[in-house]
Amino acid sequence: MSVEQAYIDRVIAQLPREATLRAQVALELQSHIAERVEHGHSVEEALRQLGDPIVLAESYLAAVPLIPASFWRRAAAKLLDVVVYVGVCAPVVLVVVYRYQFVIAVFVGAFLAAISAVYPLLAEYRYGKTLGKHWLGLRVVRESGARISFGQSVVRQLPLALEIFWIDVLFALFTEKSQRAFEILSKTRAVVATEDQS
Amino acid sequence: MAPRPGEDDDRKGIARELKRGSLELIVLHLLSHGEAYGYEIVTALTERSNGGLEVTDGTLYPVLYRLERAGSVAVRWETPQRGVPRKYYRLTKSGQAELARLRHEWNTFADAMASLLRQQPEIT
Repeated sequence: MSVEQAYIDRVIAQLPREATLRAQVALELQSHIAERVEHGHSVEEALRQLGDPIVLAESYLAAVPLIPASFWRRAAAKLLDVVVYVGVCAPVVLVVVYRYQFVIAVFVGAFLAAISAVYPLLAEYRYGKTLGKHWLGLRVVRESGARISFGQSVVRQLPLALEIFWIDVLFALFTEKSQRAFEILSKTRAVVATEDQS
Repeated sequence: MAPRPGEDDDRKGIARELKRGSLELIVLHLLSHGEAYGYEIVTALTERSNGGLEVTDGTLYPVLYRLERAGSVAVRWETPQRGVPRKYYRLTKSGQAELARLRHEWNTFADAMASLLRQQPEIT
C-alpha cells in the first residue's frame, strides 16, 4: 500500500463506519494530495501539510453537527433490543428446560446471559448501533463524532455487569446531551443518525 | 528538519486564535474573486498576506468542507483524461451574503479594537 493510501486509511478509520462521509473525505484527500504533487511537491510534503490524521479526521467531523438522541427514543431502542432478545431466547429456554438435564439448562442460561452483555458491546463497536438503535435511527459515537473504540464500548456496558444499570440510566434524564454516567465516563454519546453516518 | 505543521502557529497566541476565528471569512473572501481549487486557495492566502496568514492544508480543507455543507460554497469536480479528479470551489448566493455579514462583523470588531487601543487606559 502506498504512503498516501495508508495516510487516508488512518483518517478514514476515525470516521463512523459505513458512512458516506468516509467516501467523501477519502476522495477529497486524494484530490488535494494530487494537487500538491502536480505542483511539484512530494507526497510526503503533501501529507505533512495535512498534519496528524486523527486531528484532521476530527476537524472534518466538526463540520457535521451531532443531534442528541432524546431519552425516550433511547428508551424505546433499548426496549426493542430487550424484546428481540427475549423473543430469541424464550424458545431456546423452553426447549432446554423441557428436554435437557438441569446442568445443561444452567449452562445455556449462563450463555444467554453473557450474550445480553456481549451483543450490545460488539454491535456498538462494530456498527455503532444495536438492532434497536438501528430501528430508532440512533447511533453511538465519541463526543467528537468519531467511531468508538473497543475499550469505550466495554465501558459503556459496564453498568449492566456491575448491576447499576438503573442508576446509570437516570443520569441520561438530567445531563445536557442525555448521557448515561458511563457514557460520560467513556466520552461517548448516542446521537440521531444522519445521512452522512448511516 | 522542517517545522511540523502547527508548531509555528503555537508561538503566536493571539494570531492563532484570530486566524481560527476568521478562516471562514478569509476563505469566502478569496473565493469572491472566482472559482479555485484547494491548492490555489492555500497559496493565494500565503501570497496575499505576505505569509502572515499562512495555514496548512489540514487546517484549510475542513473549513472548506464546512462551508460546502453549509451551502456557502458550491463544488465542481473536474475529471481529467487521466489522473485524480480535481475539486473546484466557488461562492454561492448565500455564500456572498455570509461573506458580507462576516466582513461587516470583522470591520466592526477591528474598528472598536483600534479605537480602544488608541485611548489611554484610564478607567474613570
